[in-house]
Amino acid sequence: MKGEEISSSAPLNKDLVDKMVVPGDVILDLSKMTNQTIKLGSGLCQDGDTITVIKAGRLRFSKPNKYWIENSQKRYIPSAGDTILGIVADCRPDNFLVDIKGPTLAYLPVLAFEGGTRRNIPKFEVGTLLYVRVVKANTGMNPELSCTDAGGKAAEFGPLKGGYMFESSTGLCRMLLGSPACPVLEALGKRLSFEIAVGFNGRVWVNASSPKTIVAIANALMSSESLSGVQQRILVEKLLQSPALS
Amino acid sequence: MEEVRADGRNGQQLRPLVCTRNLLHRAHGSAQWCQGDTIVLAAVYGPKAGTKKGENPEKASIEVIWKPKTGQIGKTEKQYEMILRRTLQSICILTIHPNTTTSVILQVVSDSGALLPCAINASCAALVDAGIPLKHLAVSVSCGLTQNGSLILDPSKVEEQELQAFVCMAFPNSPVTVLPEASSSKEGEPMEHGIITSTSYGSMSVNDYLCCIEYGRAASAKISEFLRRSLETEHNP
Repeated sequence: MKGEEISSSAPLNKDLVDKMVVPGDVILDLSKMTNQTIKLGSGLCQDGDTITVIKAGRLRFSKPNKYWIENSQKRYIPSAGDTILGIVADCRPDNFLVDIKGPTLAYLPVLAFEGGTRRNIPKFEVGTLLYVRVVKANTGMNPELSCTDAGGKAAEFGPLKGGYMFESSTGLCRMLLGSPACPVLEALGKRLSFEIAVGFNGRVWVNASSPKTIVAIANALMSSESLSGVQQRILVEKLLQSPALS
Repeated sequence: MEEVRADGRNGQQLRPLVCTRNLLHRAHGSAQWCQGDTIVLAAVYGPKAGTKKGENPEKASIEVIWKPKTGQIGKTEKQYEMILRRTLQSICILTIHPNTTTSVILQVVSDSGALLPCAINASCAALVDAGIPLKHLAVSVSCGLTQNGSLILDPSKVEEQELQAFVCMAFPNSPVTVLPEASSSKEGEPMEHGIITSTSYGSMSVNDYLCCIEYGRAASAKISEFLRRSLETEHNP
């Protein structure tokens, strides 16, 4: 998460933590504090001596000094280090242009693959689904992607073949990627075998041996965003009892 | 002085408000705002790459399209688009995503008076639903001067046709702050926050206009409370 460091001191005011806030709310008054470093995540910005909210959502705080707004959207704001699913939109000599559901297209350099040289540039057609990592995401510039991890290894990045991709909100994907494993994935994993790739940008890819399984899993995931853990398990039970799957 | 209006309200009462968000599956943000029988549906798409020619590429740009319920698009629709565009430009933080365009499309579902304030409220709720960064919310209300000199808030269509003049105003919402000055304001007294937009039709005296603004500010506190509560309920996809 990007950090803005501000020097301040004195105890932090925690009145609004874990409550829903709307744009314009002031959550911290910095003039009362001296000599403390605060890190701001998404949805907050510094306005002179105060920290104001710019996106509606739930304010979260993590010790010792991180504040951020948790919300769920259909578009994705790229940030460095995220793993996402992108779709190739165009091929250029130096980069692939990849659509990541963000404000701009992202660039994937043709050499950003394990063992990538000018002689073995992969040929991706327009519309190929890729699992990639965001390397750089600065405001005003197109984000840069890579198909290798930070150490240069391939590590599961690259094109995803077969299967089915569906789009949902960023909130659902964060829930699916949380640890410990979210109840719907655990419940599905006990009875079915499937392969899944979840991107922070709101795209999920599922692959299994038969189309019926894929459809069942996709439907279960799409409906589980607003359900609690127990409700998710009940949903999966009902789905797996249907005769089509046995 | 206070007379009862046709639908039983007194001069300063608003019609019942209903706000639903996330109705449209394909839009990145959507909201429907109802004030009594006036219903406007707003859809937000964006931010998308690229700006139009002539727009400043160092800022995000906002594009508004107004679709009336019936009839062709004419001067009134273009005027509404312009007013809405300038209002939304002042509440969005335009420097966060430079060189992008956010489109706001408004569809009038039914018009029963106070159409422009309803549209401003709907588009603000839709922008929040889409996660566009905003400095603060905009709440809007209209106030009219009747033939016999009294001021009424939120006129219905029948009342609007008999007004001498009316004003549509948009105010910033009342924030919840942890600053100490906030706790010293008395209950029910709206804080001085400024005004975003004011459009008037017909002619009224300066005193009447200032009175309209005061009534509007008081009503905006109630609408802003309603908007905050409706944003707090978690949305179900």
